[in-house]
Amino acid sequence: MIILVILASAGPLAGTLAAASGARARQAGWAGAAGAGVAFGSAVYLLVAQLHRAPLRGWGGFLYLDSLSCFFLLTVASVTLLAAVGSVAYLSAEEDSGRLSRFQVRLYFIFFGLFASLMLASLETGNLGLLFVLIEASTLASAGLVGLEARSNSLEAAWKYVIITSFGVTIALAGTLFLFYSASGLHLAPDLALTWPYLFSHAHALAPQSLRLAFLLAVVGYGTKVGLAPMHTWLPDAHAEAPSPASAMLSAALLNTGMYAIIRFLAIARAGLGGSFPRGVLLAFGFASIVIGVLFMVRRGNFKRMFAYSSVEHMGIIAVALGFGGVLGLYGALLQILNHAIAKSVLFLSSGDVALRYKTREAAGVRGLLAAVPFTGGALLLASFAVLGSPPFGLFLSELTIVRAGFADANPVFPLLLLALLGIAFVAMARTTTGMVTGEASPSPSPYRGRGAAVAAVAPLAVGLAALLVLGLWIPAGLDTVIRHSMAVLS
Amino acid sequence: MEKLAATSPAGVLLDLSGVLILLLAFACLGSKLFNRYVAYYGAQSVVLSFAAAVVAWTFHSIELWILAGLTLAVKGIGIPVTTRRLLVRRLALSRDIAISTGLSTSLIAGGALTAFAYLVTRPELIPRGVVAAAVVPLSTAVILLGALAMVVRRHTVAQLIGWLIVENGVFLGAITLVATFPFIVEAGIFLDVVAGVLIMLVFVSGLTRQLASASATELRELHG
Repeated sequence: MIILVILASAGPLAGTLAAASGARARQAGWAGAAGAGVAFGSAVYLLVAQLHRAPLRGWGGFLYLDSLSCFFLLTVASVTLLAAVGSVAYLSAEEDSGRLSRFQVRLYFIFFGLFASLMLASLETGNLGLLFVLIEASTLASAGLVGLEARSNSLEAAWKYVIITSFGVTIALAGTLFLFYSASGLHLAPDLALTWPYLFSHAHALAPQSLRLAFLLAVVGYGTKVGLAPMHTWLPDAHAEAPSPASAMLSAALLNTGMYAIIRFLAIARAGLGGSFPRGVLLAFGFASIVIGVLFMVRRGNFKRMFAYSSVEHMGIIAVALGFGGVLGLYGALLQILNHAIAKSVLFLSSGDVALRYKTREAAGVRGLLAAVPFTGGALLLASFAVLGSPPFGLFLSELTIVRAGFADANPVFPLLLLALLGIAFVAMARTTTGMVTGEASPSPSPYRGRGAAVAAVAPLAVGLAALLVLGLWIPAGLDTVIRHSMAVLS
Repeated sequence: MEKLAATSPAGVLLDLSGVLILLLAFACLGSKLFNRYVAYYGAQSVVLSFAAAVVAWTFHSIELWILAGLTLAVKGIGIPVTTRRLLVRRLALSRDIAISTGLSTSLIAGGALTAFAYLVTRPELIPRGVVAAAVVPLSTAVILLGALAMVVRRHTVAQLIGWLIVENGVFLGAITLVATFPFIVEAGIFLDVVAGVLIMLVFVSGLTRQLASASATELRELHG
């Protein structure tokens, strides 16, 4: 079992090693994709194996794996797999066209592997201090991806990203310290005191004032990573400037890792403080994010920026769902996390394909995708409708669950407001994406050389869309069980 | 766990270092020269390593001794020397003109933040088990002052120093949890800071080469 846990986090390092030993884009990319496949396989196996077992513990609390960690492992590992396959196509095309030097390509795969495996590792630890260390390390690895193109815009985005999120995560560390302060009156066993299961089971005995401060600082700190408004300012720049598969990783894996950390703190805060304080904090940040995300989606411009603001909106929806709480709220939040992750991966990967073909990231420069490249255009359109929550895709189901959770909660104003905002988001984003796919086709030569790259560009889109469709029509029994078990872990 | 009484010599030394660290954060906030930013940060880190050594000595903790040594070597000497060589001297930075408020305003705001830190970390908030409870509000104040420095300064190098001061504040808070904070975590935090500084050095020098001035006021191309 321990071997699998290690494989699940260290798998993506295969790409790092291959790139470090001097492989070119194709070889390093396929090595990374194979490693991500191994990680994904291990994550699925762990999820199934842990379903009816007690959480896995080891190494003095440093290793801790319960249903919730397995669920997030599955989410992040699927995104990593999709993005790793997409990277093969994107980076070989960039290398062939000479836009990126061989050194930059190698750096990309080195950082990509590190980034993925640090994130996966952060989901496997029970020690909240180590959680901080791994999340901060993953920030640094991904900053290399954002600044990869080394133009002034991408360096600027990378600088903003690294300074804002490093600062934010340091605030989360201060929150972690206050959590430990709140436990310091308990005379806990030293090696267990900082581990999540121990703190959670003693939550009622934690000093409440200190715990309240800890939760607030953690939401602000890790919320910076998640992209909750008003700490979201780094997010659109970083997503727009990073190579598209890296944007997919940022939006679908990194944001969720931050959300995972918030969920861990939330569970302790709920148990120690009661529901109302955490509810207020999450609803405030959640609605602020939805409003900001929706408002900026109205503007037509860089399409990757628009998708990034849609991520801000979705993280807000998840925070609101967590704030509503209850069975429906939690269930909806977790389902939304998985659905959004897959939909955003497809969206960013297809937008990468578009950016390669048209050599622009401006929505106004792209017309007639459906006629020119039917598959990519179709994927972009379907994925954007999926992200906007239209049936029959998974996000429809999860957003419906969240709205129902809102009506089950005390005040009907919140779910109504949520519905209205979702409506505006739909109009804003569909307006731009339909404009991109319809109209007269302009010539767009295929940027990929060789069959392998072309397949790698298309396969993740097809697989992702199929998964979204399945999740919209039917939630597999195993997934349902793991979500229910995760909810049991949290309450 | 044994407590560090405020009246014991070690307790007094620890409180004194905490106060010095706060004063150095104020000094950095009140200065306008890049050289001084770096120098005050270096001095603050030296005092921090002394504080870690005091706690290590009282609790006979070998790990904390190692950490104190690392703090001295990396944060007290390594980072200041590299930043001065690679950034301040090579980019010929002297006066920081990209400050959005006057120095007196930022000092007054810093004073208010310190008072706020004492308000939120009232003694009843700190449970009985913490070693040297007096350090907690000091470390909170240092965190807030670092954040203030990051907000009022626009230059990338100044923001980098601001983040490092925030980090020193957190570290000061962490050493009061000697027995419970595992060494691996402390060492990991340390490694993160070093890697972070290296990456930021690369970005700052890259930006400077392209923009001729690495002030974040120039960073206006991406907005909205």
